[in-house]
Amino acid sequence: MTRAPRPDKQRGLAFRLALFILTSTTLIFLAAFGYNYYCSRHVVLKNVRESAMHLAQATVLRIESKLRAVEAPPRMTARHLEGRPLSNALLLPLIHDMVAGSPEIYGGAAAFEPHGFDPEHRFYAPYFFHAEGGRIAFNQLGSEAYNYFLRDWYQIPRELDRPAWSEPYFDEGGGGILMSTFAHPFYDLSADQRVFRGVVTADISLEALVTEIGAIALYETGYAFVISRNGAFLAHPDEQLIMRESIFSVAADRQMPELRAIGREMIRGGTGFAAVTSVHTGKRSLLAYAPVPAADWSVGVMIPERELLADIRALNHTVLAIAAAGFTLLFLVVVAISRSITRPLHRLVAATTEIARGNLEIKLPTTHIGDEVQVLTHSVDEMRLALKEYIANLTETTKAKERIESELKIARAIQMNFLPKRFPPFPEQTAFDLFAALEPAKEVGGDLYDFFMLDARHLFFSVGDVSDKGVPAALFMAVTKTLMKGIAEQGLTPADVLDRVNVELCQGNDAAMFVTVVCGMLDITTGELVYSNAGHNPPVLLRAGGAPEMLPVSPGLVLGVMEEATYATSTIRLTPGDRLLLYTDGVTEAMDAGQRLFSDERLLGEMAGLAAAEPRRMVERIMAAVHAHAGGTPQSDDITLLALQYKGNAESF
Amino acid sequence: MECTSRKMDKAVVIQVTGRMDAVTAPDFDAACGAWIDQGETRLVVDLTALDYISSAGLRSFLVVGKRLKGSGGTLALSGLDGMVREVFDLSGFAALFPVHPCPETALEALG
Repeated sequence: MTRAPRPDKQRGLAFRLALFILTSTTLIFLAAFGYNYYCSRHVVLKNVRESAMHLAQATVLRIESKLRAVEAPPRMTARHLEGRPLSNALLLPLIHDMVAGSPEIYGGAAAFEPHGFDPEHRFYAPYFFHAEGGRIAFNQLGSEAYNYFLRDWYQIPRELDRPAWSEPYFDEGGGGILMSTFAHPFYDLSADQRVFRGVVTADISLEALVTEIGAIALYETGYAFVISRNGAFLAHPDEQLIMRESIFSVAADRQMPELRAIGREMIRGGTGFAAVTSVHTGKRSLLAYAPVPAADWSVGVMIPERELLADIRALNHTVLAIAAAGFTLLFLVVVAISRSITRPLHRLVAATTEIARGNLEIKLPTTHIGDEVQVLTHSVDEMRLALKEYIANLTETTKAKERIESELKIARAIQMNFLPKRFPPFPEQTAFDLFAALEPAKEVGGDLYDFFMLDARHLFFSVGDVSDKGVPAALFMAVTKTLMKGIAEQGLTPADVLDRVNVELCQGNDAAMFVTVVCGMLDITTGELVYSNAGHNPPVLLRAGGAPEMLPVSPGLVLGVMEEATYATSTIRLTPGDRLLLYTDGVTEAMDAGQRLFSDERLLGEMAGLAAAEPRRMVERIMAAVHAHAGGTPQSDDITLLALQYKGNAESF
Repeated sequence: MECTSRKMDKAVVIQVTGRMDAVTAPDFDAACGAWIDQGETRLVVDLTALDYISSAGLRSFLVVGKRLKGSGGTLALSGLDGMVREVFDLSGFAALFPVHPCPETALEALG
């Protein structure tokens, strides 16, 4: 018996179920998670861009409003100065008031063309400014050392013929603060032509703006910065850069052409976004920029991407954590469910293994769920009961069969014991030699042979074959043999013996069994052989020095069929050295695998080679030839051979 | 072995083909028995195509013949040839039943 294979844990139902469900769930989750991440990232980026741009624009507005507030007083003052004769008395209070009246203005001046106010003086530029302690201080600008005509704040409005903001610069006189100057031109309108007379200026301190913008913090390390129309940093968290570096110098320094392109776009007055690595923080960042039209500056807002996406990343971590917890829970549930499915199966497997070992009494596990396992259990139980019943039947049948077989064996043994088996049978006899053998088929057959001395001179011998097989044939054979001997001993001729035996056998032979018999009586002194045949195969006669031939027999009906049947006697005389072979159809009808018969011709042929053989050797050789012919084909009929050699009576010679 | 039956006016003709031995003889018994059970009393068994017959086969003829004789019927044979003829002659069975060259002559003989 083979051992039941044990379920492999790696391939068990529970494992595969869990694997399948968890894999599917993971794939679904990853798809949903990926889509969600993509979408929310998109939304967050959009929001962040908008808020960065809002921030940039709010900063722009703040700067603009400060600048515009500073622009108004010089514009008014310039208008005042046009179209009237000017004097110190008029001019100085006007400038003073302009500075004093505007806290946004750090200082202000009216700067005239060379010799434009007083032909005596080349320079004339009265300057008032907010000094320490809240007082308004005065200073006359312009000297050979400070030739203001060459300054941007003077030159640009003069040349462009319009007000303008100067590039921010560090004030040389007033304690090094960063400032920018708004200069508004004014003209002499008394002549036919508009003649440039000078500019009214207002300085604005950028310190506060720089501080304010530099302090803008976005997310963790995001920041805002301002560049001038030349790209110089006006406001930046890194104070080292302010007025010392420009966006272009930084781009050249760090070899960042993209920063250079952005810088160009910014000073061109563009509005937009760019992805850039911040030089200040070294992080990939989003840059939103917008122009400050009043002063041609540009505001930039820089936010590191990591920080932009920090929220979404935190959200993702939360989602993943929840998913992990969910997976664990799902795994436990799946394992529990699969266990609940496979547990009854395992119990059933254990039970069926036990059944396979032959234990049919085992009680199968009960389930109450009404699922497929219960149906299977029910089927297995029915199989078990059917098997049990079948085995019980089989046991009984086998017992019966064994009994029959053992009875057949006994019948066969009894049948064999009937036959004379002592050879040589008459050791004192020298007139003849005789040998016989019966090789039984697997089934009990009905062959018979017999020989006995009727008196000192007469040997009676016979060979027969009952038509059927099994116990009835064995019984019929036993009856025939007994009758033959009893009747022959009464001294009748072989034909009369057959007559009488036939009558006896016909009595109550309802089974319609019959037997073929050839029998003979040999006078051992004369060699005269009287014989008769009842439907049996004719014996082979092998005359000394002659060829084997079939002994001619008179036809005679088999015994046991018809009471009225009569049998004829034939007579021949044997001479010393003659041999006779009696046999049953088990010899001539022995078949090989191709169902070819051994045949009469083959028998005669074999006999021809045995001209000098003793009876024992003759029987053995023929038997061997028959077996060789059959090969492995099972013997279906008894094989009987009886050989007789007449040697003659020495006394008669 | 194979048994083919034809019901004719006067009798049932049963043609036996192949080998008739202890294994196959019961089929012949059954084929004949079925006709006898139906009330047929005259059977002609044609042995032209029979290759081999053993003593068990002979016994079947004996059994069928006895049954028919009991009901006043007849079992006739036809087409005995070769080894089959020898067996019938040797056993004396050829004398037990009317034997004809072919089924037609057997039917004619039945009158």
